Parts: sequence; C-alpha cells; structure tokens
Amino acid sequence: MGLADSSTTVCATEPLYHLPVKPLVTIEARRSWVPLNLRDLWAHRELLYFLMWRDIKVRYKQTTLGAAWAIIQPLVTMIIFTFFFGKLARVPTEGVPSPIFFYSAVLLWTFFSNGVTSGANSLIGNSNLITKVYFPRLIIPSAAVAAGLLDFAIASVLLIGLLAYYGFSVTWSYLMLVPLIFLTTLLALGVGIWFSALNVKYRDVRYALPFLVQIWFFVSPIIYPSSLVPEEWRWLPALNPLVGIIESFRASLFGRPLPWLSLAYSTGFTLVMLVYSSFMFRRMERSFAELI
Amino acid sequence: MKPIINVESISKKFRITPGESPSVRYETLRESLVKLARAPFVWNRPNGSRETIWALKDVSFEVMPGEVLGIIGRNGAGKSTLLKVLSRIIEPTSGRVELYGRIASLIEVGTGFHPDLSGRENVYLNGAILGMKHREIDQRFDEIVAFAEVERFIDTAVKHYSSGMYLRLAFAVAAHLDPEILIVDEVLAVGDASFQKKCFGKMDDVTQSGRTVLLVSHSLGMITKHCQRAILLDGGRIVRTGLAEEVVAHYDAMVNAQAEL
Repeated sequence: MGLADSSTTVCATEPLYHLPVKPLVTIEARRSWVPLNLRDLWAHRELLYFLMWRDIKVRYKQTTLGAAWAIIQPLVTMIIFTFFFGKLARVPTEGVPSPIFFYSAVLLWTFFSNGVTSGANSLIGNSNLITKVYFPRLIIPSAAVAAGLLDFAIASVLLIGLLAYYGFSVTWSYLMLVPLIFLTTLLALGVGIWFSALNVKYRDVRYALPFLVQIWFFVSPIIYPSSLVPEEWRWLPALNPLVGIIESFRASLFGRPLPWLSLAYSTGFTLVMLVYSSFMFRRMERSFAELI
Repeated sequence: MKPIINVESISKKFRITPGESPSVRYETLRESLVKLARAPFVWNRPNGSRETIWALKDVSFEVMPGEVLGIIGRNGAGKSTLLKVLSRIIEPTSGRVELYGRIASLIEVGTGFHPDLSGRENVYLNGAILGMKHREIDQRFDEIVAFAEVERFIDTAVKHYSSGMYLRLAFAVAAHLDPEILIVDEVLAVGDASFQKKCFGKMDDVTQSGRTVLLVSHSLGMITKHCQRAILLDGGRIVRTGLAEEVVAHYDAMVNAQAEL
C-alpha cells in the first residue's frame, strides 16, 4: 500500500467534497485490445464541438474570399473535367448533362478526400494537446473529418443550382442523399482514424497518403460512369467502397434505380473498417504521447 | 479517512536508442520492415540495441482530500513522468492509480491556444480542452478576462498580443478551473512583477480552498509555504516522504552533498 504515514498526514481544512465509493478513474497498464470507451467519448462531446469549430474558424482566417473557397475548388475542377473529359474525350455521362454529372461526384469526392487527408494529419498537427492534456484521442481525427461537412454543405448550394438550371425536379429519391452523406462521413472517418494513428508512428504516411488518394480518385467513378467498365470486369472496381456510394449518389439525384448490391457492400465495408480502425486506434493510443 | 488519490507501485519504462536524440523516437516504415525481416535472426538478443530507463520505479503514495502535496527532486528524477501518468497522458508500465475525484492538470499554460483566434475564442477553446463545460466558461468569462487584464483586446487575435498579455490570459483560464484535484507543474507565475504577485495570490487561494493539490516546483520556498507534506523523488524512486519541512531539508542536504563531490 501507500507510503503515507498516518502520523504525518495532516489535513488543512475539512473537505468540501464527499468521496465516491468507487474510484472515478483507475489508471493502469491496459491490455492490448480494448473496446471504445463510449461513456468517456460522450463526456467529452463538447470538446469535439469546440475542436470542429476551431478547425472551421481557422480554415478561412485571413483569406479574402473566405468560405467561397469551398465552392471555388469543386467548381473549377468541374469546369476542367467538363472541358477535357466531357467535350474533348467525350466520356459518356449516361444521358445527364456533363457539368452536373461531374459536379455531383466531385462534390462527394472533395468531402471524402479532404476528410481522409485532414483526419490523417490531425494527430500530428495537434501534438501539443496530446502531450499536455488528457481526453479521448479519437476526438481529434473525428473533429477534423466532421469539420469538412460545412464545406460540403456550402458546395452543395451549387449542386442545387445546377439541378434547377438543368430542370431536374425534386423527387422522393433525394431523401436517400442523407444516409449516403452519412455513409461517406463514416467511411472517411474509418480511413482517417486508421491513417492518423499510423501517422504518429510512421511518418511515411504523410508522403504515401497523397499518392494513395490520387489512385483512389482514378479507381472511383468520378470522371467516368461505372457502366464504361466492361461487364465481366465490373466486380473489380466495385471492391472500392466508394463505387457503391458515388453510383447511389448519382442514381438518387437523377432519379434512377439504386445499385442496392454495391451499396450494401459499401455499407458493410464502412462498418467493418470503422470497427477495425477504432480498435487499432485504441491499441496505439496508449503510446501517442511518447511517440509523437 | 479514505485517500482521494491512491498510487500503488507505479513504474514507467522508457526505451531509448543510444546515440539517438530522444525526440526522434518514431520509427519509419522502412525500419519496421527491416526489423520484421530480421526478426527470425535476432531472437537470441532481445532488445539488442535498445536501452531501457525506468523513469519511475515502484512509486506508491496516498493523498488525502484537501491535502496539498509537494513533489520535489532534481531534473530527471521522474517528477514530470509522475504528473503525466497521473493526468493520464502516458500510461504506466505497471502499477495502479485510483482517483476519487475529477482531475485537471496544469502542465503548461495556454495549451491549444490558436494564434489566429481572438482572445475570447481562445478562452472558450482552452477552457474546453482543460475540461470545463461551456456553461462554466460562460459563468467565469468576465472574471477570467478581468484577471488577465486584457478587456480591451479580448476580440483581437492573440497573435497580436504581447507575450505578457498572452501568458496572462493563458494563466487566467487555467486559474479558474474547478476540479477536485489539481496538478500544478512548476511555478506558473507569469508576466511582470505585479501580475506575478496576483498569480501567487491565486495559488494561495487555490491551496487554501480545501481542494487537493499536487504541486511540483523547484522553488523550495513554495513547497514549504503551501504544502503540509512532500515527497522527494530521485532516479524514479521515492527516497523520502513526510512533512514538507523535513523533506525539503533532506533534499537540501542531498544537493549539497552532491555539490561537494
């Protein structure tokens, strides 16, 4: 037991606080695989909100155009795609005007890739917090991914404008967009959390990730429809969970039947990825303060 | 009476690679792959090139509610490691700590301050990072700003603050925390002479408020003034524990004996 000798233990004042029977916190070496501590995460939900709010506030500080950048980036990308892939390369766009065909996917992709990238770099960028204060570390990459939702919302305004301009009418299938955006967020979170933990130990992630994101862009149906891939090979790109999400996103926008099978695969992949990466994160979390 | 903090034989081992600066402890993927490839051949020399250091070895003590405990020791004695284990920043290699109250640690002031955000925004952000609820910050906001004496500049980005103003605001947020257990590292008194006086005054308030405080300081005067009891760490072990005056005297003698050698 402790070394405290009762003869030398003096109490200055009557304590104002009644001790609980069980300890509030027990600190000891953990076993390797521990599940998420959801109660602890819930207790720190305000911090998640504050870190998100900080990321959003800081992003466009000292820029003249401010939040307009959230629209400018996907807009310019869409214009370039429409010119090169739509007009010059004549990529088939499944009967949809090419600006809206490209913009719909670029919008989702921009949110996803920014989420993964900022999530992956978030722990390194907040090393001063990790070495100085305790809180569930999972909050940091989560806030980084979630902060991208605002940019997504701003850029969506242009999508609504394009839909109206090309005379698409509002249908019930638009309701499907909400779970699809949620699924994209979860996938970005799963991938972002995994890379963020890996990045603390292996700084190679910083160099490998942009490359990986670029490859991921080309294997996703952003500048082409999945129908362009020959029938017998279509299963191969469908291993990419983004295929089901992007195809479903377009299908609900343009009022076409949803590709349920690949959407189910994407959902399954996302959930497995999320569970796996949070376990892995928890396992590595213990040594973050020493490694970072 | 039951202790509010119960530390049972905490040990912490660090691995260091000789010839490498401790700040470069992360490995590259390549190193890990090389290690993995070599693994079958190095089984007979475990931890071959790695040295281990026990930053803490078998440290046990108890702290009663309302007690102000001083922790002293030379640089590298394990004080900071102990505080980091207690504040749950690093995990002990073995041992167990039980905390019967909410804990807040001031290992540094201004943690998470963002230069581009205004003073007001940083108060909220820093407060949240230190574990305050939004409502609590709302209640104490005016008090914090008045304490830091930065009323006129509260909506200016803190990167335009003088270093004194910055530190005053950072200290003010920390000083208005209200946990049951407070861990304070070093003298957090910052700024010019008059503000330092205010900081010491605040420290007096905190240590006399009936709250449990762990105070780490190099200033032995601070320890004897504020603490009833102290522990002396050396080489990661507790070498002396008892009344603050006795432990400080022991430490003085130890340092003097060292100086004569």
